[in-house]
Amino acid sequence: MPMIETDNLWRTYTMGQEKVHALRSVSMTIEKGEYVAIMGPSGSGKSTMMNLIGCLDTPTQGEYWLNDQRVRQLNDNQLANIRNREIGFVFQTFNLLPRATALHNVELPLIYNGTPKAEREDMAKAALAKVDLADRMLHRPSELSGGQRQRVAIARALVNNPSILLADEPTGNLDSKTSKEIMRFFDDLHHQGNTIITVTHEPDIARHAHRVLSILDGRIASDERVPESERNGIH
Amino acid sequence: MVVFGSIFRIAGAALWANKLRSGLTFVGIVFGVTSVMTIITALEGATGAIEKQLDTLGPSTFMVAKLMSAFSEEEFLEKIKRKPVSIRDAEIVEEDCHLCEKVSPRAHGGARVKYGDKYIRNVDITAGTANIVDIVDFEVAQGRFHSTEDDLYKRRVVLIGDDLREEFFEGVNPLGKVIKIGPEKYTVIGVAERRGEMFGESQDGFAIIPLSAFIRQFGEPRRRGINMLIKARSVELLPEAMDEVRVIMRTIRKVPYDEPDDFDMETADSILEMLNNFTRMFRLVMVGISTISLVIGGIVVMNIMMVSVTERTREIGIRKSIGAKQKHILLQFLFESVMLTLSGGVVGIILGFLIAQALAGQIDMDIEPSMLAISAGLTVSTGIGLIFGIYPAMKAARMDPIKALSYE
Repeated sequence: MPMIETDNLWRTYTMGQEKVHALRSVSMTIEKGEYVAIMGPSGSGKSTMMNLIGCLDTPTQGEYWLNDQRVRQLNDNQLANIRNREIGFVFQTFNLLPRATALHNVELPLIYNGTPKAEREDMAKAALAKVDLADRMLHRPSELSGGQRQRVAIARALVNNPSILLADEPTGNLDSKTSKEIMRFFDDLHHQGNTIITVTHEPDIARHAHRVLSILDGRIASDERVPESERNGIH
Repeated sequence: MVVFGSIFRIAGAALWANKLRSGLTFVGIVFGVTSVMTIITALEGATGAIEKQLDTLGPSTFMVAKLMSAFSEEEFLEKIKRKPVSIRDAEIVEEDCHLCEKVSPRAHGGARVKYGDKYIRNVDITAGTANIVDIVDFEVAQGRFHSTEDDLYKRRVVLIGDDLREEFFEGVNPLGKVIKIGPEKYTVIGVAERRGEMFGESQDGFAIIPLSAFIRQFGEPRRRGINMLIKARSVELLPEAMDEVRVIMRTIRKVPYDEPDDFDMETADSILEMLNNFTRMFRLVMVGISTISLVIGGIVVMNIMMVSVTERTREIGIRKSIGAKQKHILLQFLFESVMLTLSGGVVGIILGFLIAQALAGQIDMDIEPSMLAISAGLTVSTGIGLIFGIYPAMKAARMDPIKALSYE
């Protein structure tokens, strides 16, 4: 059973009289434990793809199964539940709450699924320790470097043990040295058995993945395995 | 439940983070609630004071007079033409009314009261028979009330209010002293317990003399007439006693069967009701005006919440992307607006009570925290938070997470 399966997926936006097809008949599967990069130039539909996979959006047509659940049939609350439990988002702009401490930011997903306070704190602390930020827990985002902020975001994404780690241009706002550091985290996480999907337009970043899906004009243009020899990173 | 507690804290933290903005909104609500509370509490206190005054009449007592109430000029002019109630009327009622325990005729007048070279102008002279003390709850501080014999022999004796004692007899025993009411000399036989002020007016500037002595000096009041205080045999018999008196009065005064009564008849309750009817309009206007200030407060809350929601679009997107449901976002913003208005409400209630108390203190009136005012204040301030907070909160809850996340 694949973790993600899409069948003839369409996403159409209506702008006035015109219909814009952001995705056209996308069919693909992603297995548990895979490390996939979705590549494509801006406007290719890769962000739409990412929003659909992340259950932030629902398809206009076609089917999407996530862990055997038909996403199209889910209501708003069920989608929120999936985002909370199945998906961990990592964004280009980190998207941390600026006034909250690192600890509170990481706790947030647990707050919305009703985890009791003591347990919540323990889990958040453990997640922060995993990204080497045990000593920065009470710092606010403004007191952290870009790399540290992205690590807080990764801790937040991981705190619920999601099925998929979904990263949208995770290094887009970071310098190359910090980028390497963050990508190493993803490599580690993949090694530990996490399913990772990154959306990027940088071939360098995409080469950390084991499989690259290229999207062009809303269609999958290519779906290739990255030979071990060409992979970036240590694994 | 864990979720709601956390969301509550999140809302509190957001308010705290915007101290100035929250503070200004809070002050707006405080003003609104304070004005409503002051008015409700003061009005309740005033009604309470009148009630207390009327309470001295007791529940089985009613009054009969030529004119006790008129709600329009026409009514007043019509009633003023009535035949006055006479002492003779009272005597017949006393004789014929079986359900009446006591009938006490009273007359009122005003006169200058003098002692030595001190005097007080326009003292309220109340004349009554000795049995009036059995009807009216009246406290004598010193000496006694006049007796049936005083009545019978038209003795010039007087029981004075505390204002008169203070003016004439400070530090002296007033009993046995002779004062002048108009040109006539009266011997002081008693002093009434101090009653204090009501609505800024002293309730102690009076003198009570026997009705017979009053008539001897002033004659029977021909225009105003006298009034009767009548005590029914029991509270249960009050309506029947009133009916009986009505029949007797109509017979004596030869009122045709198809004409209305040519006299007024009221109980303490009906007087209170009349008073309430009379002040209702005034109260409605006052409450209406202060409601406007509350609505303005509400609009301020709504405005602030709209700004807050727009400002925090991205935060809403972040929360939604990590699994916050619509209800979580809705509650977060509703908690914020209700916290603002409810805390403003609590402070407003306290301030309103203190102001009402200070106002009441000016006129020597005692007021207590009114449960009605407190619960009304809490309900209204919570209601404002909900009503004016729901739209911004719904706007926040319904945001599309993708658009919210890309909001700059």
